[in-house]
Amino acid sequence: MFKDLNPILHSQLRLAVVSILISVKEAEFTYLREKTGSTAGNLSVQINKLKEAGYIDVSKSFKDNYPQTICKITAPGVAAFEEYVKDLQSYLNIKK
Amino acid sequence: MTDERNEQESDQELSGRESLELIARMISTAKRDYRDTGVSGLLWGSVITFCSLVTFLNSYLKWEWLGYIWFLTFAAVIPQVIVSIRESRNRKHKAYEDELMGGIWISFAIAMFLLSWYSSVYQVPQEACLFLVIYGIPTFTTGYARRFRPMIIGGIACWVFAILSTFSSWPYTILYPAAAAQLAWFIPGLILRRRYLKAKRQHV
Repeated sequence: MFKDLNPILHSQLRLAVVSILISVKEAEFTYLREKTGSTAGNLSVQINKLKEAGYIDVSKSFKDNYPQTICKITAPGVAAFEEYVKDLQSYLNIKK
Repeated sequence: MTDERNEQESDQELSGRESLELIARMISTAKRDYRDTGVSGLLWGSVITFCSLVTFLNSYLKWEWLGYIWFLTFAAVIPQVIVSIRESRNRKHKAYEDELMGGIWISFAIAMFLLSWYSSVYQVPQEACLFLVIYGIPTFTTGYARRFRPMIIGGIACWVFAILSTFSSWPYTILYPAAAAQLAWFIPGLILRRRYLKAKRQHV
């Protein structure tokens, strides 16, 4: 039997964001926008969803009088991502 | 309304294979995104080349005050600190290996200082060889960790020059650090600088 894929992560943009955040220590909002090629509005909505799920930490500050949003993956976020990849592999029948 | 559209836009149905491809692509993008301004490479590549060439010339000129040219490397630490602080502030993401790389280059600076002190106290034969061996360590490590081939080549070049320097005699041995500084730092710095300015122009 296949497990249902985590609906929070099984979305194109949210999965892209989490995949980037798993590879780096932290990233600015503008960096995520640049790498995912998304619009600011769309990215903002998806980041909020990931934050509500407890998968990422979002801290807001000011840098040179401009607002700065920094995103960082949390421990539950890492665990959810690992679980998602495992489910995906079993779904595709990929053996490690 | 906008939120609804945004949500729909992001919730595009992904197949399992597409999901795995997206994960691999994003991880690879983040890992390969070594964006350095190249200023440090250009700075140290220029300073070491300049000091080495001046020392070489001074072996013929024999001007006493030119013997202190290597103190320029201590002076170059000040702009380096300013550059490092500025780069850190402007960085849009922090990689896990950033702190590790920082630690490696700081220990390299300390090792260089101690080796300079040691070679000034004791007469070390073929001292250029020792310096070149140490030049190669942080250069190769940085290139290897960042998957940046010019620095891998630069690091290996330092070690090759270290061997070659033992077959040369003074003052020709001092030309090897000049060549090493060009290959290990100046040329990679130039490549990084071009890459950085190109990326900056694209995202203005």
